[in-house]
Amino acid sequence: MRKISAIAVNTFREAIRNKILYALLFFAVALIMASIVVARLSLHEEIRVIEDLGLAATSLFSVLIAVFVGVNLVYKELERKTVFFIIPKPIYRWEFLWGKLIGTSLTLAVLVGFMALVFFGVLMIMGGAVRVVLLKAIWLYYVEVLVISTVALFFSSFSSPFLSGLFTILVFVVGRLTPDIEMFIPRMGDEWLKTFTQAVMYCIPDLNLFNVSGALVAGEWVSIHGEFVTWLYVGKATAYGLIYGGIVMFLAMVVFRRRDFV
Amino acid sequence: MISVTPAQKSEKEGSENIINVNNLHKTFVTGFLPYGRVSRVLWKTWPRGAKVLSNRVEAVKGLSFSVRRGEIFGLLGPNGAGKTTTLKIMMGLIFQDKGEIQLFGHKPGSLQAKKRTGFLPENPYFYDYLRAEEFLSLVAALTGIPRRERKKRIHEMLKRVGLEEAVDRPLRKYSKGMLQRIGLAQALLCDPLLVVLDEPLSGLDPVGRKEIRDIIRGLKKEGKTVLFSSHILSDVEMLCDRVAIMSKGSLRHIGSLDELLKDDSGTMEMVLNGKKEVLDELLEKWEGSGERIGEKARFITESAEEKDRLLKKALEKGLSLESLAPRRSSLEEIFMSKTGTIDEKRSGESQSKKKDEKEE
Ligand SMILES: Nc1ncnc2c1ncn2[C@@H]1O[C@H](COP(=O)(O)OP(=O)(O)O)[C@@H](O)[C@H]1O
Ligand SMILES: [Mg+2]
Repeated sequence: MRKISAIAVNTFREAIRNKILYALLFFAVALIMASIVVARLSLHEEIRVIEDLGLAATSLFSVLIAVFVGVNLVYKELERKTVFFIIPKPIYRWEFLWGKLIGTSLTLAVLVGFMALVFFGVLMIMGGAVRVVLLKAIWLYYVEVLVISTVALFFSSFSSPFLSGLFTILVFVVGRLTPDIEMFIPRMGDEWLKTFTQAVMYCIPDLNLFNVSGALVAGEWVSIHGEFVTWLYVGKATAYGLIYGGIVMFLAMVVFRRRDFV
Repeated sequence: MISVTPAQKSEKEGSENIINVNNLHKTFVTGFLPYGRVSRVLWKTWPRGAKVLSNRVEAVKGLSFSVRRGEIFGLLGPNGAGKTTTLKIMMGLIFQDKGEIQLFGHKPGSLQAKKRTGFLPENPYFYDYLRAEEFLSLVAALTGIPRRERKKRIHEMLKRVGLEEAVDRPLRKYSKGMLQRIGLAQALLCDPLLVVLDEPLSGLDPVGRKEIRDIIRGLKKEGKTVLFSSHILSDVEMLCDRVAIMSKGSLRHIGSLDELLKDDSGTMEMVLNGKKEVLDELLEKWEGSGERIGEKARFITESAEEKDRLLKKALEKGLSLESLAPRRSSLEEIFMSKTGTIDEKRSGESQSKKKDEKEE
């Protein structure tokens, strides 16, 4: 555990010393601030608009950061040959992988937390309140980016950063569109296509579960605007995310176990 | 110096051979099918298709050798001989196709083997955003050095490799020589019984090379086993107890340096100094080989008798002896013949290069 945490701390340190991350964070904050302007334009709906935009900005940039950090994680170590220092040390290869993931989760926690604080600040300045449901929404976004980082980590454990990034973003987009695609499947003509799409959807996480700013999820209406997001729902979605992430990590470990570091 | 931990002291290693390499094979696959296992199956089932889709490089072909406890062992060979590949398999970074390696009787990559081994990769890169101290703390944590000992050990180690002043500088601002030294520091930090170094002396200036050589000699004095690779002969000459000469993935020669040089042990190189005319006269008369170098003359004598005769003559004529040394370039020649690169021009070149290195 000490070894995993050493790698995690190093991963965290690397991430927060990366300038690109600050650029992304800057844009996120700018977008959240910009919600004030947009809110002014909407009559009587200021708070609602700020809540929606703030959450959307937080989510979007968290995902971008997760993809960026996630795909660079392992690849950079390979490219800069720093694995040549780490792997010969008395650690297991899977410890390295988990260290990387935990370091990323830590980084994302700090960043998502920071964006949430800015968002809540803006909200309060505009006369809104930080309702519990908003905290639930932010938490679910955090679980979502954890899932995304495991996916990024998985791809980057055997593929280039560009391809990994592309695949991860694809998984994110398809994952978010899960209900729409599933609705579309019965209307597909070709049986093979149907089966294929179903199989793909089976592998891709249903990320829509984590996006609670007004959506029909599994026949249940969840929205931050009513208090419909129950604790049970949050718990179930979290469990789903952790189990999915765990399975992806297991696959990454299998890929990693016998790979050559050249 | 660093104290040996009780665990390491009480350890029973059993055999005298620290490393056993047995019939090792490794083929790299590149091209469209970089994934070893997939392409290996393809090469077996459909070689013609596989040829189009991928390329194979046989980096190591049936290599066997052993390294004994307490010796400095040199793995010598020209670029592309397969040295790095062999060491990477040893460190559990890549996997062999056939054959096996044992470190302390354990598989490469096992914690048992890794615990006792320190490794310096070739051309080391680092986490350039870290400071020396941060990097070594990471290494300390990974090698399981207790927290309370870490600071002390790190500082001892930085002192030992001569980096005390650069502790606070980020590694990205380090020179090549400093990187090599921090690389050595991370390999030695956990006080390993076996130290494996890939080209530890290449790319350094003469002073840096000497410092690293001294550290390696110090390791032997502490009773550690050192295996290092090099394509530079003089390093091996100055440091190693035994060498293995590799070329094109296989072993060409293995043995102690004395064994290797036995045939040529009588060859000496004598440099004389004195009046120009007298030197010229002697050069003309001397039946063996000799040449003018500036104000001096260098003679090669093939036997002890010849050496004595020349020396006597020189002293009679009032010349003074500048230096007398065994002519060690024979290792170079052996190397060339073993690696199958006998080429007059090249061997001449590398001899003069070797001289440069010797002049440090
Ligand atoms: N990752 C790799 N992919 C393909 N070929 C490689 C790879 N690594 C090494 N080789 C080839 O294997 C051979 C041995 O390389 P190496 O072990 O690095 O030699 P050395 O360290 O003795 O210079 C060379 O021909 C090299 O081109
Ligand atoms: Mg090499």
